[in-house]
Amino acid sequence: MAGLGLLGAALPVWAHHAFAAEFDQNKPLKLKGTVVKWEVTNPHSWIHMNVKDDDGKVVEWMIEGGSPNNLYRLGFTKDSLPPGAEIVVEGYQAKDGSTRAVGKNVTFADGRKLFLGLQNGPPEAQGEKK
Amino acid sequence: MSYRYFVFAAAFGAFVAFGPARAAGQAISPAVKAVTAGKAWTPPRTSDGQPDLQGVWTNNTVTPLQRPKELAGKEFYSEEELAAVVKKERQRLDLNLDEGRPTEPGTADDVHYDFSQFGLDRGQAKMAWNRRTSIIVGPEGTMPPLTPEARKRIAERRAQAKGHEFDGPENRPIGARCIARTNVGPPLLPTAYNSNLQIVQGAGYVAIETEMIHDTRIIPTDGRPHISSNIRQWYGDSVGHWEGDTLVIDTTNFTDLSPFEDAQNVHVIERLTAVDPDTILYQFTVEDPAMWTKPWSGELPITRIQGQIYEYACHEANYGLVNTLRGARVAEEQAAKKAAK
Repeated sequence: MAGLGLLGAALPVWAHHAFAAEFDQNKPLKLKGTVVKWEVTNPHSWIHMNVKDDDGKVVEWMIEGGSPNNLYRLGFTKDSLPPGAEIVVEGYQAKDGSTRAVGKNVTFADGRKLFLGLQNGPPEAQGEKK
Repeated sequence: MSYRYFVFAAAFGAFVAFGPARAAGQAISPAVKAVTAGKAWTPPRTSDGQPDLQGVWTNNTVTPLQRPKELAGKEFYSEEELAAVVKKERQRLDLNLDEGRPTEPGTADDVHYDFSQFGLDRGQAKMAWNRRTSIIVGPEGTMPPLTPEARKRIAERRAQAKGHEFDGPENRPIGARCIARTNVGPPLLPTAYNSNLQIVQGAGYVAIETEMIHDTRIIPTDGRPHISSNIRQWYGDSVGHWEGDTLVIDTTNFTDLSPFEDAQNVHVIERLTAVDPDTILYQFTVEDPAMWTKPWSGELPITRIQGQIYEYACHEANYGLVNTLRGARVAEEQAAKKAAK
């Protein structure tokens, strides 16, 4: 890897993968639809959602999000983003034109951010914003 | 720069900032003070008599590995200065949560999920605060210069890699391939998120599991020597011993790709000392005379967290690697079509 940027020495580099190589900065999109399932997986989680296209046909999209570990640590569970939940995703479509996108912003239909959908409320000890 | 590199820069040198609201009240880790002031506290013992370092811990921090230029010559913040850093961190996170990621729409930098929406912003996790301005200790607080030979090696490797970054999976960074992560080290270094680890002890062994990306170092403390130098491992070969209440770990036998690319014979010495029930002082020295002109050392507190380590099965949904390569092929096709017109 190039991995030797920024400071010129062989520093440890955080680079999981190149999102800008995966998704197209010239294909921004906004999707509204319902959750089919949430793959609670690493290194990144994937939300599958049904979106109606202009002809009324339902198309399934896959939305790439972050590692779910800390959401779980904060009290989020799979039930916090259940099938059928209405969500809005702003992001960018995959370079290959498939129905995949990175979710820059993922909100519930009522505008709440994903992180604020915690069912049990955030635990006190971990220092997160309330 | 992308948010990922924004975070990277925060960790590794560009600036200091950031901190959660609640952490402000937790004030400053006494780690450094406790060690310099001598032993005021004796850690509990395991059933076989080792100092007990077990538990779930985090090294999440705003302290960069290397001291930023604007702080040259200043090794420590005052208590007041640190309070200002904590406040700035909190404001930064609040702004991010209210207004979203601070990147320009339609740019490559913007093509990323918002860390804070997945609870992954470092400010959303417990922080190991301390007054150091860099993890690397000493008046300079930076990595020493590379040797001329190392510069040459790195330049050659870079030249070979140039233009081939997306040729195939083997050209992608080892982290993107879910093989190894440099935060595991050793030395153990903080990472952008999930910066957590668990220590488990058994008779004659200490195990350190890092959540990113699921690796466990099993460290014998029975006095055995290192394995043959012909055997090279991603995280090296670690052997340990106790000096009083301090666990000393000696690691050699790394590959030339991890933890420091092109460092052929890195030798790392780590020292873990429990300084209070919730804090381990972590100190390390890294040397490779063929890489750096002198050894370099660092220290940071590791603080106890509640809960557990979560599984980070990196390859279970690593669609990203496939998508990235597919994206590169599509880009090549488009470029070829354009050229043919």
